[in-house]
Amino acid sequence: MISFAPRPFRSVAPAVLAGMAVLTLSLSACGSAATTNAGNAADPAKGGTASVSNGAAQIAVSVEKVDGEDSCVPNFTSAPAGPVTFTIANKDASGVSEVELLSDKRILGERENVIPGLKSVSFTVTLTGGEYQLYCPGAGKEYQPFSVSGAAASAAANGTSGLLKQGTDGYAKYVSGQVDSLVLAAATLQAAVDSGDVTASQKAYAEARPFFERIEPVAESFPDLDPALDLRVADVEPGTEWTGFHPLEKDLFEAKAITASSKALAAGIVKNVATLKTLTAELETNASYKPEELANGASGLLEEVQSSKITGEEEAYSKLDLVDFAANIEGSQQAFEYLKPALNEIDPALTKQISGQFETVNTSLDGYKDANALGGFKAYTDELKKSDAAKLTALIQSLQAPLAKIAEKVATV
Amino acid sequence: MTEITPAADKVSRRRFLSGSAAVAGAGGLVLGAAGGTAIAAAAAPEPVSEEVRMAERASLTYPFYGQHQGGIDTPPQDHLVFTAFDVTALTAVELQLVLAKWSAAMSELTAGSPVGKVQPEREQAIPVDTGEATDMGPQGLTLTLGFGPSLFDGRFGLEKFKPVDFADLPAMAGESLDPALTGGDLCIQACANDPQVAYHAVRNLARMARTSVRTKWTVLGFGRASAGAEQATPRNLMGFKDGTRNIQEPADFSDQVWVGEEAGQPWMVGGSYLVARKIHMLIETWDEDPIGDQQTIFGRTKKEGAPLTGAKEHDVPDFHAAVAGGTADETVIAADSHIALAAHENNNGTKILRRGYNFTDGLDSVGRLDAGLMFLSFQRSPEQFIALQRKLGKSDRLNEYIRHVGSGVFAVPAGLPAAGSYYGKEFFA
Repeated sequence: MISFAPRPFRSVAPAVLAGMAVLTLSLSACGSAATTNAGNAADPAKGGTASVSNGAAQIAVSVEKVDGEDSCVPNFTSAPAGPVTFTIANKDASGVSEVELLSDKRILGERENVIPGLKSVSFTVTLTGGEYQLYCPGAGKEYQPFSVSGAAASAAANGTSGLLKQGTDGYAKYVSGQVDSLVLAAATLQAAVDSGDVTASQKAYAEARPFFERIEPVAESFPDLDPALDLRVADVEPGTEWTGFHPLEKDLFEAKAITASSKALAAGIVKNVATLKTLTAELETNASYKPEELANGASGLLEEVQSSKITGEEEAYSKLDLVDFAANIEGSQQAFEYLKPALNEIDPALTKQISGQFETVNTSLDGYKDANALGGFKAYTDELKKSDAAKLTALIQSLQAPLAKIAEKVATV
Repeated sequence: MTEITPAADKVSRRRFLSGSAAVAGAGGLVLGAAGGTAIAAAAAPEPVSEEVRMAERASLTYPFYGQHQGGIDTPPQDHLVFTAFDVTALTAVELQLVLAKWSAAMSELTAGSPVGKVQPEREQAIPVDTGEATDMGPQGLTLTLGFGPSLFDGRFGLEKFKPVDFADLPAMAGESLDPALTGGDLCIQACANDPQVAYHAVRNLARMARTSVRTKWTVLGFGRASAGAEQATPRNLMGFKDGTRNIQEPADFSDQVWVGEEAGQPWMVGGSYLVARKIHMLIETWDEDPIGDQQTIFGRTKKEGAPLTGAKEHDVPDFHAAVAGGTADETVIAADSHIALAAHENNNGTKILRRGYNFTDGLDSVGRLDAGLMFLSFQRSPEQFIALQRKLGKSDRLNEYIRHVGSGVFAVPAGLPAAGSYYGKEFFA
């Protein structure tokens, strides 16, 4: 589970430019990295500056075998500032399937599924004057310098940075909003428990859970808070106290009895949720969220679904796993939606694919809705688990596969 | 397709880096090996060390591009991962992408290369290749792709590409098929001398297509249960040699295995039909059966594998030899023995290329050993298998001890000519 780092995000990626020689020499896997001779490979790039047509400088990148080695061959190695369109076709280099344009280590634009035999694909980025790299993972020579002359033709250059900033700011507000609702829901839960009404308490419990589950990765970034609120019985260290939602769930749904300790648990939830509010408000004020954290959080929520919801471990007594499941998906989609405007600039095809997969998951989840059930979803009984768990797993996996890729694309490190 | 290319012919970045320092220095030895298989090495005049032999096995590669797909007339490797997939994609374009991606990845994998980075430089990157086959070498990996009849059902507009008379296998006697182990839009047969290399290949292919295909059923096989040319005949889990009279002659391949124009599809010329049957053996029952009965059932002796009318494994069985003092229709090799029913002499000359593997998978739902034969056969027409199986299913003495639980038939397209082509390319013109 990757969660939001409470400390500043640390990058250990080697410098792309300065470290080039080192990079190509580190044989990472089965000798797939370039050998020392990579630099001597024939470089049929014409050099020179691309001419502008259709309002953009046109660069054709041919991915092909040159002297038996998978290579990326651009027809020009520089372009004037402004929009630049890279059109990529893979002739016969099976080892290369994507091409990216980098500024330092940031991905400005890229195309995946650059596969031999398929039609050419293209992406357009607006570039200011400076040095960039064309990156072809898997090629003999993975990085090639690409230079842009002149100043910016428009203020749209590096527009993705602005979009990402808007995204993280928006997400911070979303988290705060969820926590505010959680504060109210926790108070309602405490009032119900204090009144001794089991049915009302069960209902309040079911209503409080989604607010927490939607923003779970953020809660998890506070190392003490998440276990205090959301520890499952299996994860309790012997000799430590079990607190939070789940022991209360056990009282309400298994014993169906409210005791003094149930009331203490409800009070503890209220207290810890108040702490969570303080901490998330600070994150919003300081604009601490990084785009890659949103992305990892979105993917992390899907990990949660697979590791504890589909198995029925999360809500072992209340059988509300599908309620949590839906909340995890919703939280994941929210994080994605805030990144979407920037992501659309970087990799529109992937963005479209993820949107489509979210739609598929949501449509499937609709089939589990039950207005009369606690939390609005069918109880996740053993029978339902037996019949549907494999289907749900496949569903989530086909969303997670593309979603997991976005952190790298929006990383600001 | 059976010609072996030493890995050293590849460019440097493809070179298999052995983990063992002792072998790393012995590059020349590895490169000089033409035979590659342990058997061929053992026959060499100069004894080679075990380490060198292991390195040869590890660096063994079969060319990916050629007239036929690998894994058919390739000498059977030791391990199998067979997986059938259903396509969940909704558009032809998504299917096209899967087939193109897979074809490119297969050429990398069979050369012993990872598919993308095992350890990307960027902190936030997801490793592209899962990494568990790193530094293990190609291990003679072949990957064979097949299309199930359901792929041509109209979802992707492929009806007009369906080969003539290509359909799901008909119901046959002696089956108790589990729907969860039956059919599939696509299949991949991965064979290698190391199970982890075969598994890695299928795992990564499945992963890169996760949004478009779903794994339907999968079988891990071991101890190849059929012999190719120059190979000793292995044994199935019943303890009997399996594959003694398998197809080996080029003429038989042309007549019985490779598809010609009759399929009505250019993409199938040089292809073949793969039949996959997961056969559960009632092992515990079989183990308590007397040796005489076991041998009568197969029509062969257990240790030597000789037909009951002969002394040596490769003696030709005499299906007419009568039991001394018996009635006229009592033959030494019972007419309903496994080999008598399956023999080409008794089936109008029909032969199939068997390429099966043993499997074991813990216990079944009622507490018996879940083990048996993952039967794989290649033939020019599914009819060859159907005719043989109809006969076997009806009266084979072996039926008391086996159950066919999984089944699939797949059209295996011809091999790819060169990089830049991909399986199914004709479908998307």
